[in-house]
Amino acid sequence: MKFYVCIKQVPDVNAPLQIRDGELLQDRDRMILNAYDASAVEESLVLTEEHGGKVEVVMVGPDKARETLRKALAMGADNGTMILTDRPDLDSTAYSRILAAFFKDKDYDFICCGKQAQDTDAGLTGSMLAEQLELPYVSNAVGLNYENEKLIVRRQGDAGQEIIELPSPGLVTCSNDMNEPRIPNLKGIMQSKKKPVDSITPEDLGIDIGSIELSTNILGFEEMPERETGKKFEGDPDEIAREVARLLDQEAGLV
Amino acid sequence: MDEKFDCIIVGAGVAGLTAAMILARNNMKFLLIEKGEFPGSKNVSGGVIWGEDLSRLVPEYWHETDGGWDRYINHRRLTFIDEQSSFSIDFKSDHFNTPPYAGIVVLRSKFDRWLAGKVEEAIAESDFAMDSFIATNILVEEILMEKDKAVGIRTGDEKFYADSIILAEGVNNLLTRQAGLQNDYVPADHILTGVKEIIRYDQNVLEDRFQLNGLSGMSNEYVGFATRGVEGGGFLYTNRDTISIGLVLGLKDLRKKGLKPHDILSDFKAHPVIKDTIRGGEVVEYSAHVVSSGDKRIMPKKLYKDGLLVCGEAANLLMNAGKAIQGMDYAMRSGILAAESAIKARDAGDFSSHIMKGYQDALNNSYVMQDINNFQDAVHLLHNPVMYQKMPNLINHFGRNFFTIRNEPTKKAHAMFRESVSEHASWMDLIKIGIKGARSL
Amino acid sequence: MNTILTYISVSDGKIKRSSLEVLSKCRLEAEKNGLKTAALIVDENASSLAEKVRPYGPSEVYIVEGSEFKNHLNSPVLKAVSGAMNTIQPKVMAFASTENSKDILGALAANQNAPALPDMSEFELTDKGVKGKRPVMAAKIISRVEAVGDPVIISVRSGSYDLIESPSEPQIKKLDFTVTEKEIKTTIREILTAAGDKVDLSEAQTIVAAGRGVRDEEGRKLIDELATVLNAGIGASRALTESGVYDPSLQIGQTGKVVSPQLYIAVGISGAIQHTAGMANSKVIVAVNKDPDAPIFDITDYGIVGDLYKVLPPFIEELKKLKSN
Ligand SMILES: Cc1cc2nc3c(=O)[nH]c(=O)nc-3n(C[C@H](O)[C@H](O)[C@H](O)COP(=O)(O)OP(=O)(O)OC[C@H]3O[C@@H](n4cnc5c(N)ncnc54)[C@H](O)[C@@H]3O)c2cc1C
Ligand SMILES: Cc1cc2nc3c(=O)[nH]c(=O)nc-3n(C[C@H](O)[C@H](O)[C@H](O)COP(=O)(O)OP(=O)(O)OC[C@H]3O[C@@H](n4cnc5c(N)ncnc54)[C@H](O)[C@@H]3O)c2cc1C
Ligand SMILES: Nc1ncnc2c1ncn2[C@@H]1O[C@H](COP(=O)(O)O)[C@@H](O)[C@H]1O
Repeated sequence: MKFYVCIKQVPDVNAPLQIRDGELLQDRDRMILNAYDASAVEESLVLTEEHGGKVEVVMVGPDKARETLRKALAMGADNGTMILTDRPDLDSTAYSRILAAFFKDKDYDFICCGKQAQDTDAGLTGSMLAEQLELPYVSNAVGLNYENEKLIVRRQGDAGQEIIELPSPGLVTCSNDMNEPRIPNLKGIMQSKKKPVDSITPEDLGIDIGSIELSTNILGFEEMPERETGKKFEGDPDEIAREVARLLDQEAGLV
Repeated sequence: MDEKFDCIIVGAGVAGLTAAMILARNNMKFLLIEKGEFPGSKNVSGGVIWGEDLSRLVPEYWHETDGGWDRYINHRRLTFIDEQSSFSIDFKSDHFNTPPYAGIVVLRSKFDRWLAGKVEEAIAESDFAMDSFIATNILVEEILMEKDKAVGIRTGDEKFYADSIILAEGVNNLLTRQAGLQNDYVPADHILTGVKEIIRYDQNVLEDRFQLNGLSGMSNEYVGFATRGVEGGGFLYTNRDTISIGLVLGLKDLRKKGLKPHDILSDFKAHPVIKDTIRGGEVVEYSAHVVSSGDKRIMPKKLYKDGLLVCGEAANLLMNAGKAIQGMDYAMRSGILAAESAIKARDAGDFSSHIMKGYQDALNNSYVMQDINNFQDAVHLLHNPVMYQKMPNLINHFGRNFFTIRNEPTKKAHAMFRESVSEHASWMDLIKIGIKGARSL
Repeated sequence: MNTILTYISVSDGKIKRSSLEVLSKCRLEAEKNGLKTAALIVDENASSLAEKVRPYGPSEVYIVEGSEFKNHLNSPVLKAVSGAMNTIQPKVMAFASTENSKDILGALAANQNAPALPDMSEFELTDKGVKGKRPVMAAKIISRVEAVGDPVIISVRSGSYDLIESPSEPQIKKLDFTVTEKEIKTTIREILTAAGDKVDLSEAQTIVAAGRGVRDEEGRKLIDELATVLNAGIGASRALTESGVYDPSLQIGQTGKVVSPQLYIAVGISGAIQHTAGMANSKVIVAVNKDPDAPIFDITDYGIVGDLYKVLPPFIEELKKLKSN
């Protein structure tokens, strides 16, 4: 069974953020593997460990993002491809086109994506890619199994969950609720250095990256409107509980 | 046996990264292990690396203006404060404007990561490009010993072996203790805690406020009310578009007085003099970290053992004698010396104490131990309550009188001084401090 | 070309309020720009739902009906919506942001070769397409975005716009739809519905949310009681959905649902940004946490510092008293 996992390097959303003149100043030092992609890597590793097969990771990004690709290799992926571009403004449409060009002549059973990238929270790339590759897909998977050459996907829907059979070749986007991604051990880190990583450019795939015109653009960033700091109640639990209940009634009219 | 290295370094702080750089340059096959997510992720420093050793590691680093460093120091100030006033000794000189700089300000998460990148480059050029590693997010839990010789490390259920091991684990030196080189018990008198905030400004505002020019920077140390009578001192350093402001406080004194470091820092920031200096910024980070006191009495007597070397703050190498905190430069020099000993040991094929002792000798002969030895009295002096309580009051009392001009007969300065002394201390205090001071500095 | 088309989300045979919010906003935009407002219902019983969108003023309601829509599967829905878009040629295709619309948004955009802006908190039409705002980085900041194209596909966070009634007499138009088994590609093996999922969180006016601090049966009973007094929906942090204590569909946050109730009570929740990403837009936020430095208190209107096991009983009792008055 052959898995490809599409992984993206994203800024750590827990790191302090700063906006200046509408621009987001990103701390290049706090870039990490998108948590949803880490779950996708984890799950494909678990499945190939059980049923045999290979896991390849692929990332579109700048050369500096290579360390994040290494992290996936250190987790256990067999090899990787870096599709190198320094263009910082690409949107999901652009990424999915590059990835579609990459997958055009590849053989695989399943492509796994994260359900969304933690920085843009867009959640588009996976199904865009599936549509371009004319693959069946399932989004927001919270559990994966493999039976009779099909992935059995547990998908979190709006209210309940659906269990869906996804034939090969197919694409699935993964939630981080399906597992705890392993933290690479020392051996994994050491092996990752020797695993093969292909470096190619979008041009190698027939895409002239410079001339891609984006149909969605970021015009700028703003701070979230700050909530006014409210009141904090400390002291005797009985008293403060009753007081807040009364305030909810009187001040907020919510009871 | 899993795989054997020439050397394993524990901790990718300044000391560990420095040692790694020297090993890579000398074609050693090594493993550098860091528990943090990335080098620097767990490190807190006020931030001035004093001296020129960095240019030995990364020649002409100053050309990389977007590299790991923030500013070079050409302006220094030592400030005594009481409740309302401040009295400063201020020195700024063009002399400090040309590289190699005598001091650079760094933010550790950025600096350590940058230095790690340089080490990676050195590894790539070494004979062991594929066999030497920097591994992060890995906690070393144990030093493996065989017949009292260090032979490897354990993390989880993985074991790795090496001819020599360099401990660069920083002040919280559990492995050094485990190896039996440091007493488990360090009295609280000898432990300090550092707290620090990073405050962000518009870069132009920052440069105007502190009279910076290009990448020049200033460092300011504080003695007195800064610490609300708790043993210790304060600092302020200018980074690119932030300042690092913080305090180093005696743990025992804090406990005795029932004060919390963060509250003292808030008071410090609200001091009329400090408030004006730092107004308008936005606090973007707060951190706290233990610092050793630089007191020789708690230094491990031996910094080596068969197959093992200890460097940096793990060896308690630190100097805090009032005019500056020196920890990173000591870490760097001791890292260089430790690595050189590990290389010597490899060349000699002998990893016993016999060779490892050369490290301690080299350290003793270096400025690090010479300064630590020579300035022990200054360290003790700084921990004298007269120094951080009475002196700043006295100095400011004097300053207030000296700089006040009234439309009435002015007293001579020595008369004013007498008045300040009798108000805030005693001649006895002064004489004692004077003698100690003269001897120690 | 002269239409703004809103997709009406249906779940369990009921129209989701959030899609009516989008419809209300789309009607305002349409009026401002001299366009028509239309609604699209794709459901097993779509015809019977047409009447329900009338109060929000569409001039046309398009219906796609079929048994294929009984349970959500992306391929038939995708085929239905792209078919409708090909027929109607809307300028903007707007969705409420739900798990099921997220499921097809990207594929639809690729299929229609249209730009897509998901999870908007604000939007308006421009002469080139759509511009607006969307929270990013776990809703820590807002990014101002534009999409250039015709059509543009967007989805809108629930609670971003109010319902505005403006009844119309829409034309009901049924669109032909067939889908072959081969086109469906994937098969549903089983549907697991959440036990006792009574209140739809994304529409709830009051939510009581439980976190890791709620550590046992007794705690859950307190949560239930509190929710009952306030007639509230129950939500949870990932700490409790992951461990199986609460149903995963109740998770609120970056991975889970985005909610915007009038009142949100966070009990034993620390306030990690991935959680607040889903609830920071609530009107009034109350938190009960024993740690005075818990980050949740940064966004609360009323922060109760205390042990939930000691705080909730008198809180519930007092609320009951106030209610009965
Ligand atoms: C508030 C404050 C201000 C300071 N200001 C200055 C200043 O202005 N100038 C100056 O020169 N010094 C300053 N210092 C002191 C300076 O920070 C230290 O002396 C210096 O960082 C010591 O370097 P090191 O490499 O020995 O240790 P560290 O920098 O502490 O590095 C040790 C590393 O080892 C890792 N580690 C520890 N144990 C393990 C393990 N078991 N397994 C794996 N990894 C492990 C740690 O995560 C850490 O990264 C300041 C300190 C503080 C707290
Ligand atoms: C990619 C990603 C996506 C994520 N998405 C989500 C998401 O959608 N939703 C989500 O919720 N999380 C999400 N998380 C997880 C999130 O980061 C936090 O781990 C999670 O929200 C923590 O849940 P908690 O606050 O219940 O638990 P904790 O962080 O453990 O907090 C428990 C709190 O309860 C308090 N407490 C304990 N006992 C008591 C008591 N007796 N009385 C009062 N207070 C008490 C404690 O002081 C503490 O503050 C995501 C994480 C990642 C990496
Ligand atoms: N630059 C990229 N390289 C590889 N995969 C990507 C990239 N961008 C997005 N993806 C994949 O698409 C998923 C969703 O991304 P997004 O549409 O940006 O939310 C991610 O979790 C990845 O699996």
